[in-house]
Amino acid sequence: MNTQTQLAERNAGTVTRSGDTQAQKGPAIVPAVDIYEDVHGITLWADLPGVSRDRLNVHVQDGNLFIEGEASIDTAEGLRLHHAEIREPRYARAFSLSADFDISKIDANLSDGVLKLSIPRREEARPRRIEVSVG
Amino acid sequence: MSDLLFNNSLSEELDRFQRQISSLFTGQPSSIRASRLSSFPQINLGSTDESVEIVAFGPGIDPAKLELTVDKGLLTISGERTRVEPQSEGRSYTQERFVGAFRRAIKLPRDADSDNVKARYANGCLAISIGKRETSRPRIIAIQ
Repeated sequence: MNTQTQLAERNAGTVTRSGDTQAQKGPAIVPAVDIYEDVHGITLWADLPGVSRDRLNVHVQDGNLFIEGEASIDTAEGLRLHHAEIREPRYARAFSLSADFDISKIDANLSDGVLKLSIPRREEARPRRIEVSVG
Repeated sequence: MSDLLFNNSLSEELDRFQRQISSLFTGQPSSIRASRLSSFPQINLGSTDESVEIVAFGPGIDPAKLELTVDKGLLTISGERTRVEPQSEGRSYTQERFVGAFRRAIKLPRDADSDNVKARYANGCLAISIGKRETSRPRIIAIQ
């Protein structure tokens, strides 16, 4: 592994940057994520309850990974909301990815509201053991 | 000293700073006692004329391990969420997602009928619908 400690940096300001299309869409919840890295690449789990596959948008742009989702719950007619801990149906979060990762091979899986992303490293960027010859 | 430090991006920086600070507060739940860490799953509570609707946002929960009980007008949602253990050796950078046992209790109104409860788990949301007793529905009383 290389010695860089921050391979996937979190741009906290990316979600609410001015002039960004995300800011124009309105407020959004930042979903909780778990990020894990091993020799093959990065695995990211994000909590996106209420988001179905057709309302999830994961895309990479300019070396930034964007996760956007819209939650939808079937509400009964004439529903009066008394207590809401989740007020916004939108989730949005962005991460910057270093060039070490192969963006074309990102694998995404959404089940039970949990998004699992596997971002593999590029072949060239994998840690390699270098044989040391004696003599 | 470069002029780039002092052009209009300063007001943009202040704007961004102000938005970041306000975003820390808009994400808070409405209850003063609940903090983000202690309120998993997050709950939205609503009612119609016929039922009380509760939605608990808990992704990645096994519905078989979820326990839903109604006792003396108190609805309790409890269960456990376990972390998927990665097989290979590696490093974890962030663990923001809730892991472990959770329990949330909601006091139901008196007219809620605990025999008439329907629950459905889809897309990580547990939607619970509790019917209200027939006799307590709004009725117009005719005046003679």
